[in-house]
Amino acid sequence: MSLVPRIIPCLDVANGRVVKGTNFKQLLDMGDPIELALKYETQGADEIVFLDIKASVDKQASALAMIKKVAMTLSIPFTVGGGIKQLSDVDKFFDAGADKVTLNTAAVENPQLINQIANKYGSQSLIIAIDVNHESNGDLAIYTHGGSKRVKKPYANWINEVVERGAGEVLMTAMHKDGTGSGFDLELLKQADFPLPIIASGGANKPKDFLDAISAGADAVLAAGIFHRDEFTVADVKNYLINNNIKMRI
Amino acid sequence: MKAGIINLNSGNLLSIVSAVEKCGCETRVITKPDANFDVLVMPGQGRFGFVCEQLNQNNWREFILDWIAQGKRFIGICVGMQVLFEKSLEDETAQGLAVFNGAIDKLKHPKTPMVGWAQLDSADTFYQNQFVYFVNSYGLPASDYCLATVNYGEQFCAIVKKDNVTGFQFHPEKSGHYGLEVLQRCLA
Repeated sequence: MSLVPRIIPCLDVANGRVVKGTNFKQLLDMGDPIELALKYETQGADEIVFLDIKASVDKQASALAMIKKVAMTLSIPFTVGGGIKQLSDVDKFFDAGADKVTLNTAAVENPQLINQIANKYGSQSLIIAIDVNHESNGDLAIYTHGGSKRVKKPYANWINEVVERGAGEVLMTAMHKDGTGSGFDLELLKQADFPLPIIASGGANKPKDFLDAISAGADAVLAAGIFHRDEFTVADVKNYLINNNIKMRI
Repeated sequence: MKAGIINLNSGNLLSIVSAVEKCGCETRVITKPDANFDVLVMPGQGRFGFVCEQLNQNNWREFILDWIAQGKRFIGICVGMQVLFEKSLEDETAQGLAVFNGAIDKLKHPKTPMVGWAQLDSADTFYQNQFVYFVNSYGLPASDYCLATVNYGEQFCAIVKKDNVTGFQFHPEKSGHYGLEVLQRCLA
């Protein structure tokens, strides 16, 4: 007995609605965040992640009222991200009832923020999201600002820095796979050699993609479209995994 | 059923308040001792020493020990459970409530902190093989009052119970529908 792999539906929120894009573009309306989150909890989701895409791009603060309502409604842990610039933004999210926060752009622009959050709230409260892209020359590059800005810092250096500064988990999104439904980037997962839980994200199209990601070393798998479009329920995915000898919480 | 949720300035209380209400209880968050309840719930996040220090404020320590001595119902969650013991390796000079004998130890987790869902092991079929949500680095390796254990690197206590006092190392308020059943069982 030990920790079991987690299935984490991700709700990208913009203007109070859940949206889904393809390769970070073309947003489609997918419904009400609270309703959807509750539906996924009922289906057996182990955690929920809310990302406020619009907040990151438009530099707006996320809706704290929504976070409070989520905290009162859900009985499973949830993470919020988007629009975080400084420790005081993080304070607001935790005050509103979030269990964890996730940072991407802010962590790259101000890495000291990782230390500050880990010291104040503990490593378990912090997920660092890393958007990785396979460049045409074969390099792995990291991106911020919702996938629109390439960062000079090499991928490997950034991973080490994130670990050393006290992050609790890494949410790894393969941008070249996101929204394409062509499966997770298994090579990226297999190469990931660091002592933090890794949440695989980007590219889930069918239950086998989850199995492949877990087999490649993911501690958790995050997905959006496959659940929002009702192609598979969380329970469908978990049943498939259980039938393939992966222990799951049911 | 009226439940008092003890606020020791140790983390957000919205989830635990909502969970206790979902179990059919009236709740009120209290920052000072108040005996006008059927049950008291003490959540806790962060360091053992910090929560012990908070207990030294407002006469909490005497009030809680008196409440428990009277045989009234009490629930401690996470660090709120740990401070029911004598001491902790996390902050060796801090004094726990010593409702239970024993010391909290640093656990030999494969990854620290332990964050996630793990399965309970218990002689009680209500708990056996159920999944609950843990967030901790420290814990109680063993106790005579252990009702359920969990294994992550090593075995440790997930639930302790003595008379009307129940302690949960995991977070029932974050453990889905089953977590609410667990809470309801000691609130009903």
